[in-house]
Amino acid sequence: MKIATQKIEFKNRLDLECGQSLPGFELMVETYGELNEAKTNAILVCHAFSGNHHAAGEATEDKAAGWWDQIIGPDKAIDTNKYFVVSSNNIGGCSGSSGPTSVNPSSGEIYGADFPVVSVTDWVKSQKLLMEYFEIDCWELVVGGSLGGMQALQWAISYPDNVRKAGIFAAAAQASTQNIAMNEVARESIRKDENFHDGFYLKNGTKPKKGLKTARMLGHITYLSEEHMDLRFGRKFQDIDTRVANDVDFQIENYLQYKGEKFSDAFDANTYILMTKAMDNYDPAHIAEGKLENALKRVKSKLLIVGFNTDWLFPPKKGKDIQLAAMRCGIESSFVVLDGENGHDSFLFFTDRYFNLIRSFLES
Amino acid sequence: MPITEIIKNWVPNKSRVIDLGCGDGALLCDLKNTKNIIGYGVEIDPDQIEVCIENGVSVIEQDIDQGINDFKSFNFDVAIMASSIQCLKKPDKALSRMLNISDQCIVTLPNFGHWRCRLDVFFGRMPVTQSLPMSWYETDNSHLCTIKDFETLCSDRGFVLKKKKYLNKNYKESWLSSLKPNLFASEGVYLIAKD
Repeated sequence: MKIATQKIEFKNRLDLECGQSLPGFELMVETYGELNEAKTNAILVCHAFSGNHHAAGEATEDKAAGWWDQIIGPDKAIDTNKYFVVSSNNIGGCSGSSGPTSVNPSSGEIYGADFPVVSVTDWVKSQKLLMEYFEIDCWELVVGGSLGGMQALQWAISYPDNVRKAGIFAAAAQASTQNIAMNEVARESIRKDENFHDGFYLKNGTKPKKGLKTARMLGHITYLSEEHMDLRFGRKFQDIDTRVANDVDFQIENYLQYKGEKFSDAFDANTYILMTKAMDNYDPAHIAEGKLENALKRVKSKLLIVGFNTDWLFPPKKGKDIQLAAMRCGIESSFVVLDGENGHDSFLFFTDRYFNLIRSFLES
Repeated sequence: MPITEIIKNWVPNKSRVIDLGCGDGALLCDLKNTKNIIGYGVEIDPDQIEVCIENGVSVIEQDIDQGINDFKSFNFDVAIMASSIQCLKKPDKALSRMLNISDQCIVTLPNFGHWRCRLDVFFGRMPVTQSLPMSWYETDNSHLCTIKDFETLCSDRGFVLKKKKYLNKNYKESWLSSLKPNLFASEGVYLIAKD
């Protein structure tokens, strides 16, 4: 598989939904496969909350496997022998695209908390510019899970003529009250870390690692299902030799400690706040008299909406709400519920049915 | 005229159609190509759903027994339930719900009163026929009825049978199946409206 990683600079000003703008921005982009001559085989993959541009490719010594490597690759559900797959790190992210850890050109200092509030719609807008950069007229498919699914939906809404098909997996057209509540607890733990410094921690030569770790531990619980946690960890005790902290008793504690610690090394706290805010604020119905079907009226793309029955973060019912609104608009759309055992994270993993479904949708 | 041809004649051009228990979506696909409809299928079998999606048929994974209410106030032009009503837990409720979500509905059902069935039962066996191909332990059919039973239900509930066709085992109308449908028709096809 041909993999290309590049940082692309966009020099024009990007006006954001919040009223602020970025004087220009950079996107970290990874592509897989090759664009055909007619430029008709392009697929955009949108990442979820803590994902980035590295969506595919096997693990190497210095690099983890892409977050959707089970789905994207030669002969995989999104077949890179056939399609040119584009994956970018969203603005506001911390994997190379313009974000809170970048330098603010107007002050010469790191943005920190001054990085403007970005939204799902802003991301889609920036991805549209990316599409133009590659001189692609129409994506064959825009697809993503979770927050990535929100972007896929917004693509169909914002640019109806530029998306043939949209895959909206483990997503919602609106975060639930409970989602917002969980995210707020996570954000609070970051803000209350003594090293947070109102978001200007890098200037102070420090990082709110403890708060970020707690936030991620909470997040992890919401990504897994109760059943999966029982099966994988149960009430098993952690070996004393391998435990990451002295007060760890159970394997689940060790797992959360380990995952949280690792995440807090790699991720940026401001990005955490910004991404969760974007997720909470996303609500296309809000500007359409509160009705999703009003927001979907212009949609021309074919939709495939997938829910996973162990997902309690964005349960299948959320996907069905999108389906019902799409049906009210006469949009060609399908809604399928899969048996993922990994809770919300199920959208990341290969199953036979998931494979066949994505394939059938792509080839329909 | 096979059943799909009858249904095609009854579905108006460019109408909005929901097919409850759409199977592989062949009917919707046909209606889309020939009648330019906007159609949605409801199906529970994963393999069939996959075929629907491959053929570009919009489909919702959903149990019909529970699902029809989701489409309340949708105002479809036609709701279709082909060879499925006898599989539902509450066929009478399903029928009235169908008429709540659309102006008209098309129902097809195997006739348990067909002479072959009667003969099988007379000799002490559950019928296995062309329109009832499964053995009693394999079949999804839980509420089999005769043409007479179904029409009585409709008249009791005030549902109007606007059109009906009685088909023989070759899925054709014959003088016998029209003369004594409850005895000679193996399949009934109905266009039903509320009052």
